[in-house]
Amino acid sequence: MRSSTRVLLAFGTGLMLAGAVAPAWAQEATLTFRFNDPDQEQMRAALDQFEKANPDIKVELERMAWKDARDQFLREAAVSTGPDVVHIAFVWAKEFGEAGAVLPLADSLEQSPPPNGLDDFIAMDLATGNDGSIYALPWTTDTWAMVYRTDLLEEAGIDKLPETWEELKDTSAKIHEATGKSGFMFPAGSSASGTLWFLANYYWWSNGEALVERKEDGSFGMDLTAADVTEAMDYFKSYLDDGEMPTSMLGVSDWADPAIIRGLVEGQNAIGIMPPNTFQAVLDAYAAAHPGEKLPFVSGPVPKGSETRATHLGGRMLAINANTENPEAAWKLVRFLAEEEIFTDYYTTQFPAQRSLLEEIEFAPEMEGYAEQLMHARSWGAYADGPAPIGAMWNAVGRGFGAALSGQRTTAEAGEEVVETVGKMLADGQ
Amino acid sequence: MRNDRLFIGLMLAPALLILAAFYGYPMVENVRISFTDLTLLKLKKGGDWVGLENFREFLGGREFGHLLFNTFVWLTALSVVLRLVIGIGIAVLLNSPVLKRFNIATLAKLAILVPWATPPIVAVIVWRWMLDPQNGIINQLLLSLGVIDDPVAFLSDLRTVWPAVVTIIVWNTVPLVTLAILASLQSIPAELHEAAGLDGATRRQQFRYITLPLLRPTIIVLGLTSVFWTFNNFVYVWLATGAGPGTYTNVLATETYIRSFVDFQLGYGAAIGVVMALMMALFGVVYFWIVGNKMAGEEA
Repeated sequence: MRSSTRVLLAFGTGLMLAGAVAPAWAQEATLTFRFNDPDQEQMRAALDQFEKANPDIKVELERMAWKDARDQFLREAAVSTGPDVVHIAFVWAKEFGEAGAVLPLADSLEQSPPPNGLDDFIAMDLATGNDGSIYALPWTTDTWAMVYRTDLLEEAGIDKLPETWEELKDTSAKIHEATGKSGFMFPAGSSASGTLWFLANYYWWSNGEALVERKEDGSFGMDLTAADVTEAMDYFKSYLDDGEMPTSMLGVSDWADPAIIRGLVEGQNAIGIMPPNTFQAVLDAYAAAHPGEKLPFVSGPVPKGSETRATHLGGRMLAINANTENPEAAWKLVRFLAEEEIFTDYYTTQFPAQRSLLEEIEFAPEMEGYAEQLMHARSWGAYADGPAPIGAMWNAVGRGFGAALSGQRTTAEAGEEVVETVGKMLADGQ
Repeated sequence: MRNDRLFIGLMLAPALLILAAFYGYPMVENVRISFTDLTLLKLKKGGDWVGLENFREFLGGREFGHLLFNTFVWLTALSVVLRLVIGIGIAVLLNSPVLKRFNIATLAKLAILVPWATPPIVAVIVWRWMLDPQNGIINQLLLSLGVIDDPVAFLSDLRTVWPAVVTIIVWNTVPLVTLAILASLQSIPAELHEAAGLDGATRRQQFRYITLPLLRPTIIVLGLTSVFWTFNNFVYVWLATGAGPGTYTNVLATETYIRSFVDFQLGYGAAIGVVMALMMALFGVVYFWIVGNKMAGEEA
């Protein structure tokens, strides 16, 4: 036998032997992690670390726009597909659990609990379904705060941040009058996401009211009258009517819309309201455009109403698809993603949802308003526990405000419509 | 004879099976869902039978008239009529000897293809930028010409939002009409026009009595397909305005989406889909009946 033939035979035998051990390779788990924030590169780097520490698990990273993420995952889960680990908003966990789309985590938590226990996580009430099962692990948290251009405040002769909704309106008007720039700019559009939903709720909560309440008998109903909704609509409409905010904002539904971000960076508008990662994007854009200059921004708490000042305790959770073939590997990934290093080295634009980690954060001077506002943040509570999907109520409120602010309806008509529509959703769902 | 029938049946069977699987089944399933209260959260469990409740709620709802008006008048009638009129006009221009004389006929034909080659999503995004109140070229142009004093928020102002949406639709879809009409124009024998000219017919009379009648079959087909396609279209309105401000530009297709995937009411959304299908079926029957009667009358 010629040597070349022997080499070929040996090679072929090697290949066959490799084939014989193939089942061992097949033990390797491949997970898909759907992560919806823009920090894809950083998250990939974190996942590379995870793969290094767990050579038998590969993780594919994919992204979905937040506005499509909820219904897309529900559709996938219903036909036994979708990612193994999914990045979800705080208020989706209950409904995903109820729909059978995500796994209850009791077994995983029992076998491999987080180092500081579940009490270390905020918003566990939102992660727990009405059946008592825990369906997701809170991952990140944040709330909204007001942001201001300090140079425009100074130019208008304003030396203190507004404390109440009325003061905010006055400040906005003074800035517009003194500088010709816009005052408070907020998304006044009517799409199915974004919109005035958050602001409207902050306004109601600060006045001791809420769109949804749990009644003494355990049922859910509306805590607002049409007059309450109309009053909020009148308040926000006055920014458009008085010219402090351009009517083009009626076409803006996203709080991170370029019209708002660019306006703040370029000093075309003086006041905004947004989550911290969006404010960080503003700061970064300004720093890039004006290297070495002092940042002319400050954040502050949202205005007070008659009772308090309040924003929502927002954030993200991690859940495991009920159809995953690798629940153990998926839980291992969830545990890894909740470790401190993720927030210090990779996912640095968000605050962790663990109290022990939150206490260690040192807020930059521009971010101090967020630290203060976190003390006033509240859970969605009855909104999430109630029978109407939050997305549907969000759409109804956003469209109602859009109709009122654009002039399609009077504020009184639109207020009545919102109360009627949301009231029907709550009644039908019970 | 029997063997022939068997052979034809066998040849048609694969296509019929595919149609049944991918067209018939979803259609029947959609009708079934429309009688249930299925939601996106109940997909695994399935919905409960609610009879005609979804139809009753939709047809008796406060928004029904508004949705119907937006869909039929703004979205469909206006954009289809404009598309046909502008398409015929451009086709006649492209077919005229004037462009050939200046050696720009080919260039003009290529230029007309650009909007058609632009996917609707890209077309809407480009137009959104052009119509932007702060940086859009249209506002800059109108301001510099002194036509307006302040920027106009075309896609959020109640006075301009529908004309803006219709403009986007017409821009993106008129080339199809133009090319189809142009092909028909080029198939009209030149002798007909020459003979009419010799008989003293003016250009307008030639267009009225020769060109238009010969274009009629093409216009009828284009009209019918344009109505079906536009009536059911979701993309332009949703991407341009999100059905707002408020519900001002909401149409049947966007309402179906909102109810199904925002409010999660798949049964209700399916009911709207069934109503839309019935409306278009009725339109098709009436359209062919009128056109058929008219043509039969002319032939007699």
